[in-house]
Amino acid sequence: MKDLKVGVLSFAHVHAGGFARLLGAMDGVRVLAADPDTDLAAPGEVRGKAFAAQLGVDYVDSYEELFAWGPDKVVVCSENVRHRALVERAASHGADVLCEKPLATTPEDGAAMVEACRAAGVRLAVAHPVRFSPAYLAVREAVRAGTAGDVLAVSGANNGYMPGGRRRWFVDPALAGGGALTDHTVHIADLLDDLFEASQVTSVYAQTNNVLYEGEVPVETAGLLTLTYANGAVATIDCSWSQPRHHPAWGGLSMQIVGDRATLEMDAFDQKVHGFSEASRAGVELPYGVDLDALMLREFLFGDGSGPVGVTDGASGLRSLRIVEAAYESARTGRTVAVG
Amino acid sequence: MARLDVGLIGAGGIARAHLPAWIALGARVTILSTDGNAEKLAARHAESGVTAVRGLSELLDRAAVVDLCTPTFTHRQLTLDAIAAGKHVVCEKPLALTVAEAREMADAAEAAGVLLFPAHVVRYFPAYAALAESVAAGGVGAPAVLRFTRSGSYPVWAPWFGDPALSGGILVDQMIHDFDFARLLAGDVVRVHAQVRGRQEPGARAGDVATGTAVLTHASGAVSHVLGVWGLPDLQFRTTFRVAGPGGILEHDSTAHTGFRVLAQGTRPLGEGIPGSPMTESPYLTELREFAVAVEGGPVPRVSARDGVEAVRIAAAAAESARTGEPVEIKVTEEAGL
Repeated sequence: MKDLKVGVLSFAHVHAGGFARLLGAMDGVRVLAADPDTDLAAPGEVRGKAFAAQLGVDYVDSYEELFAWGPDKVVVCSENVRHRALVERAASHGADVLCEKPLATTPEDGAAMVEACRAAGVRLAVAHPVRFSPAYLAVREAVRAGTAGDVLAVSGANNGYMPGGRRRWFVDPALAGGGALTDHTVHIADLLDDLFEASQVTSVYAQTNNVLYEGEVPVETAGLLTLTYANGAVATIDCSWSQPRHHPAWGGLSMQIVGDRATLEMDAFDQKVHGFSEASRAGVELPYGVDLDALMLREFLFGDGSGPVGVTDGASGLRSLRIVEAAYESARTGRTVAVG
Repeated sequence: MARLDVGLIGAGGIARAHLPAWIALGARVTILSTDGNAEKLAARHAESGVTAVRGLSELLDRAAVVDLCTPTFTHRQLTLDAIAAGKHVVCEKPLALTVAEAREMADAAEAAGVLLFPAHVVRYFPAYAALAESVAAGGVGAPAVLRFTRSGSYPVWAPWFGDPALSGGILVDQMIHDFDFARLLAGDVVRVHAQVRGRQEPGARAGDVATGTAVLTHASGAVSHVLGVWGLPDLQFRTTFRVAGPGGILEHDSTAHTGFRVLAQGTRPLGEGIPGSPMTESPYLTELREFAVAVEGGPVPRVSARDGVEAVRIAAAAAESARTGEPVEIKVTEEAGL
């Protein structure tokens, strides 16, 4: 079988390196990266050719050269605000796209991307690896099979490091679209979009603050959202960047699901050996759970739809984006915002 | 400590938790209830001098302090009666179903110069007390985002719990514990949004589920999430918290740090056979000792009547929000003089 040609567009996102490494290690995959737009990087951020060398992946200096190579598929890891242009460009070259989340910074951009890919006949997928978590799939099985009954409430938390230290653009609202609300709402919103089989979110309430990084970053760093669904469920999401920056773990994603026939709890990243290192005088965590990024990439590249779960599609990514937009309106007005 | 004469009103679950604490404090306890259980409870503790009476005036004649362990809808009248008789009052949480009633009770106590002590016992649970002490000392810096969960089986053993007209429902009866605690840690609450799902009507039976979720916005800008579950019969009682600030996080899961566990006991079901053993002093004993010391002129308890009123204010706002679907604003200044 001919090797699959996969392009990595931009190293702006903190996940780009991990994706490139995983792709480079896959049999039957050839990887080529380009990261020409490093104008927004902060001093000290390793990008472009130097970063590709660290990762051990082939590199070209421009997107023109990358598309001239004829990629079958591309992974877009640019700043959020630059997703649209790169996705439209990939669509015009007939390449399937896996786009970092969130899909875009506005629903208007997201809708244009969905339309561009539809018109070009290419696949648009959004990078939500937690759909591939065995813990999530166990929840989904219980809910889909009816053994959990009707879902009454979901309490979810997706906390993490404040990412501005590794990539400054994450805390620039013009480039990221916002702060923690933009960055961390969509993972759980995406799981619930899948769990509830696209049941419409009917209203959104959100409150945010920047108590954690007051004076250091100009965006919200903590947020709580309450979403009501057409199926009757109510879900809350803690999207805060509240993981202390020197904590051994980057953060995590957990949900408690209260059904009328079962109460379930999942943690997508709690499979770890814990310890303490005398050498570094710090706590040690050794994650041993399955690599969700690898599962997602493999499904994007080779999936035939027969797996237990598919990669998030553009329409779903757009639904999550509309939730984020409503959440900002709610946080600004202090009111519940109707959606849909 | 001089011997304290305690009039315990009610003989249900919380009275049975308070009574051993009073006995441990050397109190002479008189019990009153309207369901016939006072006599049975007194008989079980007869060797400790516990007696039952049949009328409120008889109880008030004997007692220096009244401990109100009755359903919430009875709190106002019994508290006002006790205060009118010059007694200090311990009142089980919530103080009342409405802010107006709670404020009336607090005002009456202040006017009479007696203590009204809302029994928010979570303040005395050791993990929560450790959290509060650390946060007050700046352990995480200014709290930014706080999460609390509280779950257990649906309290079908006392049907009034499941009737929002009598208990306020899960938001007011159960989640008020964490509303009070969130306010303790992050300060006054200015906005509340809440939703409830599941069985919210009277007549709940084992197997029914009710759940509530609330987001509090504090005057400081901090935000708190509270999840409450009255769940299936096998839902183990469990509380969790996670408090994050610029200086770090503090988190706890009551089922993860039990100290002692029965790992196997053959065919006997859990809860039978080998009993659990308390790892720390009963929080009810800590709570009532603090009150008893205050009655004798010692330091005032860590929970004030105003705290009890404010907890009701948050809970009532949550209940209103759950009805309307809209957030409810709270003015923090109006109780300043209480």
